[in-house]
Amino acid sequence: MNRDDIIGGMVIFIFGAVTTFLSLRMPIGNFRMPGTGMFPLLLGILLMVLSTLFILNLFFKNKKIELREKWFCLSELFPAQLILFFGAMVLATAFFKQLGYPLFSFLLMITLLRILGTKNWGFIFLLSLVTGLVSYFLFVQWLKIPLPKGWLGL
Amino acid sequence: MLESLQNLANGFGIATTIHNLFYCLIGAIVGTLIGVLPGIGPIAGIALLIPATFGLNATSAIIMLAGIYYGAMYGGSTTSILLNVPGETASVITCIDGYQMAQKGRAGPALAIAAIGSFIAGTLGIFGLVFLAPPLAQAALAFGPPEYFSLMIFGFIVLSNVTGTSLLKALMMATIGLIIGTIGLDPVTGDTRFSFGSVSLLGGIEFVAVAIGLFGIGEVLINVHQPKELLDQRVIVPRFRDLYPSLQDLKRSIGAILRGAGIGFGIGLVPGPAPVIATYSSYMIERKISKHPEEFGKGAIEGVAGPESANNSSCQSAFIPLFVLGIPFGPVTAIMLGAFLIHGVSPGPLLISQHPELFWGVIASMYIGNFILLLLNLPFVPFFANILRIPKRILLPLIILFCMTGMYTVNNSIFDIWMMLLFGALGFLMRKWAYEGAPLLLALVLGPKLEVAFRQSLMISHGDFGVFVNRPISMAFLFAAVVFLSIPIIRIIFKKKGGEGNRDKVKG
Repeated sequence: MNRDDIIGGMVIFIFGAVTTFLSLRMPIGNFRMPGTGMFPLLLGILLMVLSTLFILNLFFKNKKIELREKWFCLSELFPAQLILFFGAMVLATAFFKQLGYPLFSFLLMITLLRILGTKNWGFIFLLSLVTGLVSYFLFVQWLKIPLPKGWLGL
Repeated sequence: MLESLQNLANGFGIATTIHNLFYCLIGAIVGTLIGVLPGIGPIAGIALLIPATFGLNATSAIIMLAGIYYGAMYGGSTTSILLNVPGETASVITCIDGYQMAQKGRAGPALAIAAIGSFIAGTLGIFGLVFLAPPLAQAALAFGPPEYFSLMIFGFIVLSNVTGTSLLKALMMATIGLIIGTIGLDPVTGDTRFSFGSVSLLGGIEFVAVAIGLFGIGEVLINVHQPKELLDQRVIVPRFRDLYPSLQDLKRSIGAILRGAGIGFGIGLVPGPAPVIATYSSYMIERKISKHPEEFGKGAIEGVAGPESANNSSCQSAFIPLFVLGIPFGPVTAIMLGAFLIHGVSPGPLLISQHPELFWGVIASMYIGNFILLLLNLPFVPFFANILRIPKRILLPLIILFCMTGMYTVNNSIFDIWMMLLFGALGFLMRKWAYEGAPLLLALVLGPKLEVAFRQSLMISHGDFGVFVNRPISMAFLFAAVVFLSIPIIRIIFKKKGGEGNRDKVKG
């Protein structure tokens, strides 16, 4: 048994508890006429029961908790490449409307290709430009999907 | 039977219009590509392409999306055989003997038999669908809210039992999916729930965002997490003239193909990841009954023919519960249900009578689609195999761009992209910590239906929970659910007794 399983179980228990708490603030009704909060309330309680059983099962199966050098091996779980990759997606989403679709797709491709280790800048630039153009013509011109125009106004 | 054949003929009339043939072809090609490309499975693929169907009528949209589903099954075998990497989860078993055949220079016959077996089994599956769906639809008219509730509970229990390694983890994921499904408007009273004053949350969490996030973005992040050397890959590309199987290959395969078709069809009717279970069951059976079981694992052609046939046949029969009951028994058909609802069609017992053109048109298109896939998969194998030469470092950014663009087009909402990224991060963590996404997704799609069935049942019975056990069909489903819940406990008890028995023998 490792700490990840216990932490996962506890997080799920908390999620169930929060759901139960928030459901109690809605009309519950009764079993003859269930209210808005009845179903999520029952689900929240069920989730707390399941997560408790899960954690107890972990302890009964193996009473010894595997110790690790660190509480959470963050650097193993989230290496720099992964953080940069996800961060680029988040940043691109935050500026999607301002950049507009063509610029968004071009810059996103450049960033992600570079993060994943493509070294040739000429290749990166060319592929990103071709991808941006193809996707622009495919989605905006052909499928007529109203994507953000941004600064370029395309 | 005659009526079904006549309806099928009408269905061919609908499916063979230029319009629908075109979308069937697009679906088959895209599905094969999705199946070939590891990293994006049919769930994310169908979810991504739902926005592209908004301008189509319901029949054409479902024809295209169904084409993607069984096309992905065809395509998945290509990477399994050439790369030892399953293109999608149901092709895992094909890796065992398919890759060994490729190593021995027999990639061509392996690919050909996989395609031929898929075609035969898919065709037989479609005929089963034609003759079973109408009478089952009649029987389903006897279903009321208690029966639907019990059936969905049964579906969740079975899916949780066969998915992943831990029943408790799967049940927790299903419950979380049900909770997420309550966000937005109460389906009975229209009151808001868990919206926290946000207009974006009033409509609930978009299921396409959850599907693409968990299975698309999550899978990409898992790939990014790998060492950089694994982002490049090598592939063996067979020549077209090497594709033909010998007469001996065909003779050895035909039995496995027919058995696989039967196994797959039966398993597709029950809840759970049917293609995965079907392929595994077929492989085990072929190995047991083979005159040369020692060849399995080293390139036995039956080990490719049987599973691939079972895979495809289960895809066809999985549509029966979806069409007839309106209840998807797996994550892919859950996405298809979402697509139906987006196009204003409610699958269920009345689908055949209210939308016969859609029902029979889609079935006829499946037959045409299987034929197209047989023609595509054999000569175009070198083309698909060359796509595999594209390094992941280039493929992954393209997938991300496509995911983000497709997600925006659903509702023209940045909020949906944020949800997709959130579930992408969650999907990554779930994969790392061995939590399955399929129960969560299925629960998200079925949650509102389950709640409505539950509340309606209690209203009908004036709060008496006996309504779920007093009705025989409902009772049968609940009993079956209890049996499935007890299986892990029974296994543990038998294991312990077996351990004690061995200890006694050693002491003796």
